[in-house]
Amino acid sequence: MKRLVPVLLAAALLLAGCFSGGGGSDDGAGRLRVGLSFPPTAGLSPYGNEATLATRLGVTESLTALVGGEAQPVLATAWTQTTPTTWRFTVRPGVTFHDGSPLSPAAVADSLNRAAAATPVPRALSSLKKDTQRSGAGPVEEAGTPLAVAPEGDAVVVTTPLPDPVLPARLASPELVVLAGGAYADPTRPSPVRAGTGPFVLTAVQGSSGASLDRNPSYWRGPVSAPGIDARFLADSAARANGVRAGELDVAEAIPASQAASIAAPAQVVGVPLPRSVSLYLDQRSPVFADPGVRAAVRQAVRPLDVAGSIYEGRADPAAGLFGPASPWAATRPPRVQTPAGPVPPGTRIRLATYSDRAELPEVATADADALRRAGFTVDVTVLDSSALEAQLGTGAYDAVVLSRSQQLDTGDPVSYLASDFGCAGGYNWARYCDPATDAVLAQGGATTDLAARRQAALDAEARVLSADAVVPQVTERARIGVAGGVTGVAEDPNEQTLITATTARS
Amino acid sequence: MTRGLLRPVAGAAGTVVVLAVLVAALPWLWDSDPAATVLRARYPERGVDPATLDALRRELDLPSNPVLGAAEWLGGLLRGDLGTSWVTRAPVAPEVLGALGISLTLALAATLVAAVVAALLLLPGLLAGVRGRAPGRGAAVAAAVLAALPEIVLGSVLVLVVAVGWRLLPSSGFTGPANLVLPALALGAPAGGMLARILSASVEATVAEGWVRTWRSLGLGVPTLALGVTRRAVAVAVPQIALLVVGLLGSAVAVEQLFTIPGIGSVARGAVLAQDLPTVQAAVTLLVLLGLALGGLGVLVHRALLGPALSGRELTGAAETASRPASRTSVVVAVLLLVAVAAGLPRDPSSGNEARRLAPPSLALPFGADPNGRDLYARFAHGALLTVGSAVVVVAVCLVVGLAVGVGARSARAGAADVLNALPPVFVGLLVAAVAGPGLVGAAVAVALVGWVPLAVHARTLAAEARASGYVRAAELVGASRWRVARRHVLPAVLGPVTRHALARVPHAALALAALSFLGLGAAPDSPEWGAMLAAAQGYLERAPWTVLAPVVGLVALAVVLASARER
Repeated sequence: MKRLVPVLLAAALLLAGCFSGGGGSDDGAGRLRVGLSFPPTAGLSPYGNEATLATRLGVTESLTALVGGEAQPVLATAWTQTTPTTWRFTVRPGVTFHDGSPLSPAAVADSLNRAAAATPVPRALSSLKKDTQRSGAGPVEEAGTPLAVAPEGDAVVVTTPLPDPVLPARLASPELVVLAGGAYADPTRPSPVRAGTGPFVLTAVQGSSGASLDRNPSYWRGPVSAPGIDARFLADSAARANGVRAGELDVAEAIPASQAASIAAPAQVVGVPLPRSVSLYLDQRSPVFADPGVRAAVRQAVRPLDVAGSIYEGRADPAAGLFGPASPWAATRPPRVQTPAGPVPPGTRIRLATYSDRAELPEVATADADALRRAGFTVDVTVLDSSALEAQLGTGAYDAVVLSRSQQLDTGDPVSYLASDFGCAGGYNWARYCDPATDAVLAQGGATTDLAARRQAALDAEARVLSADAVVPQVTERARIGVAGGVTGVAEDPNEQTLITATTARS
Repeated sequence: MTRGLLRPVAGAAGTVVVLAVLVAALPWLWDSDPAATVLRARYPERGVDPATLDALRRELDLPSNPVLGAAEWLGGLLRGDLGTSWVTRAPVAPEVLGALGISLTLALAATLVAAVVAALLLLPGLLAGVRGRAPGRGAAVAAAVLAALPEIVLGSVLVLVVAVGWRLLPSSGFTGPANLVLPALALGAPAGGMLARILSASVEATVAEGWVRTWRSLGLGVPTLALGVTRRAVAVAVPQIALLVVGLLGSAVAVEQLFTIPGIGSVARGAVLAQDLPTVQAAVTLLVLLGLALGGLGVLVHRALLGPALSGRELTGAAETASRPASRTSVVVAVLLLVAVAAGLPRDPSSGNEARRLAPPSLALPFGADPNGRDLYARFAHGALLTVGSAVVVVAVCLVVGLAVGVGARSARAGAADVLNALPPVFVGLLVAAVAGPGLVGAAVAVALVGWVPLAVHARTLAAEARASGYVRAAELVGASRWRVARRHVLPAVLGPVTRHALARVPHAALALAALSFLGLGAAPDSPEWGAMLAAAQGYLERAPWTVLAPVVGLVALAVVLASARER
């Protein structure tokens, strides 16, 4: 025993340094402490999902930004369509990157060309790429890049292989941010450390646990309120809520509905309607759902559930369709014809799946399963991690899935979203829904530059999809941002692309 | 001595190679395409694009068969190269080693907490024993209750009270020693209960030894005697303590998630879910190597403390003590539990009702309602059948396997058993779930895969003792076959004690199953299994404590009932 104690103590001392590091700077002088909802795997690289982490922290910026579904100037001051396939974007003068180098048309062209050549192609551009040619079992032929960007005077000229009416909106994507040349030391995962243009300079990323940022003293929009940010990546939603309650975080995103009620004044939970729908997708090719009457029976069983009021405790909006309050133009949707519910053949078994990354989804799946059992179905529920579930996309492993799905796709374009989720060639078509007439509506809508016509096409396609009972919308989500008392200026962005801005401050 | 060390080392190395091949075979066992999963881990909510998948498949560079993959990977391991992660595209070694360091820090801190808790629980019994009186039963029950507390519930309560309520310690993260306190308490207190259970058997056995009486008659004071007994009891239990530390290393996944600690358990879980093979390989191998090293260290310390002559007397968690009638508490709790479960069975556990969401306990709903408005009493009763039933089945399988291996073993040490011992059940559960999909059966298989080892070790020790006795030697001399000796002479000596040991492990198995279900690797999330109930209720601990209370009370009651199994 006596000999064991020193051994244990020595080992403990030896290991005392084993902490994840970072977060060391104290919260003196109003630095903002921010809890973000998922850990980065590639140092906040713009290629991939974590691109939004960098834009939410005010590090990187794109040529444009989406406001109300339309592109607004950011690093580009103006743009014109010169031919059906070329656009000219004037680059904002007087902007410098965090490393001191100037924002030039050449730098913009370099960043965009690199992004367009990345593998996989940024989501906002993927529909621009010409159809991939596959010759038998042979290798995939290079289909060319979706964009070619060249500097021209004080502007850049962007050429697309196909006419693209919504290019300025596409360029708002967090994956298409403009970085200084130094960011591309590793071209497969550019690093935004001291390479962005935003109000905050990213100084260090502590692996997947946190990041340190300082105020950008020469931000092009003017002075920045907060002296810096200490960001933490907290995958556990309860940890984010607890952080706000314990006074450890000033801003925390994605507070689960179950925890929102326990965040008391002066802290508050800000709800921002999102273009994000939680829906039950019915696999059209599943033998169970071959009969439209059975699909209608599912809809009739599930629709009466008050998911928004009970599971989301009023912190989400009941869904009238796929598009919710974040898409105000959808309020005037045309009436649609619904198939009457048919009889449920005895012993009909539904394999229902969802993922656990959003705390409410398993509860929604449970409520749906319960409602379906009352309607005479037999239901097996599976809850997986989101990457495990998404890997089953298109395999028909489940007859029905409950998903939370963003309609944003970085472009804010409802037609692209519907084409991807309900088009025959759609890449995220969980319902495996394929209807040539719907595809024609979407193709027609996709070809026009007129915003109102695109939205009308989206509503027409939505009505067709809902009439076919390919999907049963359950709620439209809200961003639930936890904000500590005395913190002001947190961006309420329905696109989830900005959170901390130059005006965010802690008193 | 050299030969004695060489054999286990060779056995362990062989098992590591087999394990490497098994892990390298995962891409062939996974029912989904690794490229698709890796793509989803890198870019969530993105469509399928065959060209992208092809490019990614080329980038991942899957070997053509598992054996080749394992050989390549082992070659890299010898050069100190653990490969590159499929998801982050960064070298695996720094991430996994860093996570291992964090987990070791946490496990050591938790071990210190466990030691203090166990000492407090054992002190009254020790003093009574040294004075020559029979120890009370309170401490044993307290230890059983503590050992049955799910770490995640304890951790959530600590966060809500200490971090959110009092603002004394940070609620999450792992940036400094202050971050260590709450997770170490959450992990260490139940482990302390477990440790006290192990040591109390050891203390009782030691107090009964002759030298204690001699020392007492010599008039040595209570402190001297207590110290002597402690030293000997700890020495006997050192290998079990080493196992406990190993268990704390990999099984802390839920607690790591709660406190957002980037430990090895979380890294391994994330890697298995994302099908990030190189990271899985590195995590499995490092955990096993570290487990073997700690196990070896335990054996060395054990020998150093006891001297080589006595070191064969390894404690196995269920020492022989004088048989005592079951305590009144156990009987009362057992009857209460049975009546409560039987009365709850006719109720409907699966029908929800939005209006009853989180309803507090009332006459109509004695245990209240869960977030989906389902009757918690009905779920508690049906969950008892599922949880306890599967735990009993698991332990029965473990008992059969443990007896077969333990009685059949030729040598006193087995490499495979030691390697399996070093793998936490959560980890095996992850691998089983990755191959077979999550489910209660898979979880039971995972718990059984590692659960037979302590029973086999116990059976092996007892069998060795039986074989050393005169009549077995005599039987062998007159030409009895090996099988006949095992069946007629060894098995009867082993069966009783090992069965009692197995019974004492039922709550442990129930807790392990519940832990897997909690992590989404076991029972379906809408099933009333107690771990799945805990997982569904975790977010509501503060607003509706009754949602958490029902499964916790069930697990604790089960532990109290079986706390006396050892003595019966």
